[in-house]
Amino acid sequence: MQPFFEATDYFPADTDGRVEAMAKVTGKAKYSAEYQAPGLCYGFFATSTVAAGKIVSIDTTLAKQADGVIDIITHEHKPLVPGLADETKIRESRFGLPVFHTDKIYFKGQPIALIIAETLEEATYAASLITAIYHAETHNIDFELSHPKVALKPDGKERGSLQAWQQAPRMVEAEYTIRNEVHNPMEMHATIAHWTADNKLKLYDKTQGVNNVQRTMARLFGIPNDNVEVMSEFVGGGFGSGLRVWSNTLAATMGAMQVKRPVKLMLSRPQMFMLTGYRPQCWQRVKLGADENGKLLGLYHQGRNSTSMYENFSEGFTRECRLIYTVENLKTESATVPLNLSTPTWMRGPGDCSGDFAIESTVDELSYLLKMDPVELRLKNISNEKDPETGKPWSTNYLSECISRGAERIEWKNRPTGSGQLTDGDWKIGYGMAVGMWGAGRQNASAGIKMQKDGSILVQTAMTDIGTGTGTGIQNVAHDSTGIPKNRIKIELGNSSLPPAPSQGGSTGLSSITGAIAAVCNALKQKLVDYATVVDNAYKGMNIADLLISETGISARSGNAPSISFTVLFDTNHIDTIAVEASAGPGDERQKFSFCSSAAHFCKLRVHTKTGKVKIERMVCTVDAGKVVNSKAAANQISGAAVGGIGMALMEEQNADNALGSLLANDLAGYHFAVNADAPIIEVAFINKPDFNSNPSGAKGIGEVGIIGCAAAIANAIYNATGKRLRDLPITPDKVLMG
Amino acid sequence: MKPFNFIKAAGGTQTVKQKKRTGRFIAGGTNLVDLMKKHIEQPEELIDISGSVPASIGKKAAGIRIGAMARNSVVATNPDIIAAYPLLSKAILAGASPQIRNMASTGGNMLQRTRCPYFYDPTLPCNKRNPGTGCSALTGDNRMSAIVGWSENCVAVHPSDMCVALAALDANVIITGKDQLTKTIPFKNFHRLPGNTPEQDNNLPADALITAVEIPGNAFQKNCFYLKLRDRDSYAFALISVAAALHLNGTTIVSARLASGGVAHKPWRWYSVEQFLEGKQANAQVFQQAATLVQKEIKTLPHNVYKATMLQGAIEVALQNCLNA
Amino acid sequence: MKKAHTHSRRLFLQTSSMLASLAFIPRSVKAFYLETRNFLVASKKTGSLAVSVNKKLYTVEADTRTTLLDLLRENLQLTGTKKGCDHGQCGACTVHIDGKRVLSCLTLAAMVPGKEVTTIEGLSDGEHLHPMQQAFIECDGFQCGYCTPGQIMSAVACVQEGHTHSVTEIKEFMSGNLCRCGAYNGIVEAIQKVAS
Repeated sequence: MQPFFEATDYFPADTDGRVEAMAKVTGKAKYSAEYQAPGLCYGFFATSTVAAGKIVSIDTTLAKQADGVIDIITHEHKPLVPGLADETKIRESRFGLPVFHTDKIYFKGQPIALIIAETLEEATYAASLITAIYHAETHNIDFELSHPKVALKPDGKERGSLQAWQQAPRMVEAEYTIRNEVHNPMEMHATIAHWTADNKLKLYDKTQGVNNVQRTMARLFGIPNDNVEVMSEFVGGGFGSGLRVWSNTLAATMGAMQVKRPVKLMLSRPQMFMLTGYRPQCWQRVKLGADENGKLLGLYHQGRNSTSMYENFSEGFTRECRLIYTVENLKTESATVPLNLSTPTWMRGPGDCSGDFAIESTVDELSYLLKMDPVELRLKNISNEKDPETGKPWSTNYLSECISRGAERIEWKNRPTGSGQLTDGDWKIGYGMAVGMWGAGRQNASAGIKMQKDGSILVQTAMTDIGTGTGTGIQNVAHDSTGIPKNRIKIELGNSSLPPAPSQGGSTGLSSITGAIAAVCNALKQKLVDYATVVDNAYKGMNIADLLISETGISARSGNAPSISFTVLFDTNHIDTIAVEASAGPGDERQKFSFCSSAAHFCKLRVHTKTGKVKIERMVCTVDAGKVVNSKAAANQISGAAVGGIGMALMEEQNADNALGSLLANDLAGYHFAVNADAPIIEVAFINKPDFNSNPSGAKGIGEVGIIGCAAAIANAIYNATGKRLRDLPITPDKVLMG
Repeated sequence: MKPFNFIKAAGGTQTVKQKKRTGRFIAGGTNLVDLMKKHIEQPEELIDISGSVPASIGKKAAGIRIGAMARNSVVATNPDIIAAYPLLSKAILAGASPQIRNMASTGGNMLQRTRCPYFYDPTLPCNKRNPGTGCSALTGDNRMSAIVGWSENCVAVHPSDMCVALAALDANVIITGKDQLTKTIPFKNFHRLPGNTPEQDNNLPADALITAVEIPGNAFQKNCFYLKLRDRDSYAFALISVAAALHLNGTTIVSARLASGGVAHKPWRWYSVEQFLEGKQANAQVFQQAATLVQKEIKTLPHNVYKATMLQGAIEVALQNCLNA
Repeated sequence: MKKAHTHSRRLFLQTSSMLASLAFIPRSVKAFYLETRNFLVASKKTGSLAVSVNKKLYTVEADTRTTLLDLLRENLQLTGTKKGCDHGQCGACTVHIDGKRVLSCLTLAAMVPGKEVTTIEGLSDGEHLHPMQQAFIECDGFQCGYCTPGQIMSAVACVQEGHTHSVTEIKEFMSGNLCRCGAYNGIVEAIQKVAS
């Protein structure tokens, strides 16, 4: 059995840290707004003050009088972007918000002007001088009032029938709501746009996928992909907000075109709440039936989430219930509710995170109805062998093992079987648990290696590292594949001119790229064998598995091929570097198997009965993520996701004023996410069994499963402590007190 | 920010002479710079008083004097304060973050403006920011708003923790007026209720400068507590806070002080509860009874009904914790 | 006052558009125009500042509005200090002034002369990392790294202030530094390591 990673003694042996650690702790790591460019000037958005309608006129007279203002872009004064030239093109572009290419206002806070000035101070002041006259129309941002009016539609294939289980002996049914949550990565989205020639664009952009930005901007401006270079070497967090190309990238590029100088545009924190997506608010209803022994008979899951007036975004929160349990009768329905807010987007554990809260709260409720331990109830119904949706066998799924080990760790046996039983003065103590799953995907990716004469290598890919430890994972896989010492393996990431890779999202990053790394390492070895053959014929036809690479040169694992130093190898072949590139992606295995990552979350907390305060004492997360490629970064991912889960459960909520059509307190003092004091030391453990069908490294993605299930585990623990079943996230002290 | 002139204060009583009506003094800057970035404050001139207004903390015959420039963290960790006014130290440490406490001044803390979200967004109507435009919170989101002393014109609450302790400890604010004369304003009269002029947070005369705060001696060292309830465990403004202090003779309450943050336009004293407690035994039953008394004084809004329950619980817990201190 | 402001604003806007079409501008009109412009649009004020950062003295001509954070990032190209909110709500911009942790986003550059500013770039002693930097590496006290310089500056101060007696105390005194990646486990561990 694998040891748990103890809180105070995580990974004692390894003190090297991540490949980029030195850059990050010394402040040398450069994020997108931190580059220099000749003649750089500053952009800042002025935004709409109404939530719906049309711009009648924008008055820039005063702003133009302000010191340092170079130009002001509006829908009436702009360089026309070919891909957004008319309504049809805008629709076909699928870009989302066509800033400065429409007079329509879809939400309050929509950019109506870009002020470009010599300094940041000048740009922000001038923005305050912009006024606009609107033809305002009636707005609607009231989800609670609007959603019941939108008809639900079937979402996914129905299993069995609804009628079959309506007489189930045990039945629970309830509604759940979650408020808007906002990613708020610590780095605000920023772009430096630089037209280095008439049709050549260089962008430093905060994104989770440089190739996505490259393709999008090339398409919009009608130039070849190769003419757009996008760099995002360091990304200050994403959580999904960097999976789309947003208005700041487009506007900075337009601005740079207009003033013929590089333009830097960083969103303000309040703008981050409107212009880079969010997890949409939702309503869900779950009905769950079981027999007296706890066998699930049927599940009916319905839900609606909000979207914008200009795009449809469906959360997909009915996916999760199809993954976890064996349920013969299952029906899911969903709908989206257009409001005068900006378009939501994927946020960590998109869909499944919200859906799981409803499902796992319901399962918990059923356990009390059955007077059955929730751990036992889950173990009884989890589909261990096959994907209940497709019927395909799981490649690997150790969710049940996650549950057993987590229960042991948190000493689940001490949990009171009923609610409200464990008391300490004014405090009530409770235990809760929930599980989460996430489809373990993989995409095509490519990577390159450049080997120098000294035998050191540079591994390159366009994939970004948003903090997940991708670079270190790549280094580890390259080291395992080639035997080259880690200190002789350099990593270069986040540049669109490097071998292309998918965006880092949906927990597919490492899974996708490690296949490419393994492939390119094999390509390097083959190349070394070929070059070695020129030096000594004994290498001819050698299997690359027999090739050994050392610090000084190459040799053969067996046989009579002599060792060759890198100097001899390179000199004899008259080369300075060896460059190889390779791609890899999913294959037939995806037809044969289903793939998932899974996790069990356990929580012990106390609730103060007189003030409503909730204090989480322990969080235990046990995770099946295949083989753990980098234990330190992986545990960090999971504990960080659990911190996000604490935020989701207890405090994260974007407030709004429905009458005024306005977000409220959209800053980091008004929108609370967990500070250091909110989280206990999170206890993390991995099953650490490889899934080689998933990819050559045996790893499965972990970005999402760390958060999916956390909110339900906490809500379930609050029920165990107090007997209050709270179904509206976040569970703030007032709800605990008055619930 | 709107452009402004920046000058250093002349020092002494000359400083007040420097100030024009369109200018502002800047001390720690933690609230003023924030508001200037949002164009809520747009002074034409800033007068930097950080190097000229006293920052010293000194014992006086009848108490202690804290220079207005004394930074919050310095006050909270000052040995004399910890020994004689632990309630003040506890309250300060419950506010903001270590970085902000290292910057924020004692005088500036008293002058910080409300965190009502409508006040903080210049695009929304707000009587405090833009008189005559209406109070959006009254009919809008008032979960964080006042439950006592509010008016139809404003339901904002005062955000300070330090001031709740100063209110409980009957401090005095020492100011220098435009006429260069020194005056004393009792702390309880320093902040004001919104009434019909919510744009005025306090009774500091125009262009006057806070130079110090004085706290009289007391007997609350042993039994005091500051309880702050908020949406997260730290670095958040209060939903409800309670400063409680008891002077005990054995188990008998000789005198009591009780004040709250997060409930009103000013730090709020619960005088009726204090009176009730005097002469009573310090025990859970008495504290429970005492806490119920606040219900007569408060009037909740649609979204902050919970505050009535939370406040009552918080007072009970704070009083109880005075005994554990 | 308010009404006059609105009135003059409207008049100004009208005259300024008229002015554009006039070849000859009467002196009185021009005077009115300039006066009104100065009332509605304030001109920027600059001054020369001598600021000591990491024991190096920089003399810069700066806008009075420039914060220490923007001075560091935009004028001095010391981009290690991060902007996470620009309003004192996240701690990413934490630096030391005269040895104490403060927020550079709420500090006007004009108030810094005569003081010593230390940023993440000045924390290490030449080639040698500060023990806290080393501990953050060893304990993996970060993910994306954006809040890290602020966390480290704050952590160094946290140890100096002596707020390291328990996990609870460390957590409370590090709560002014938000980390959206949630790398709080490693941050606490790093501080414990240095404190011991």
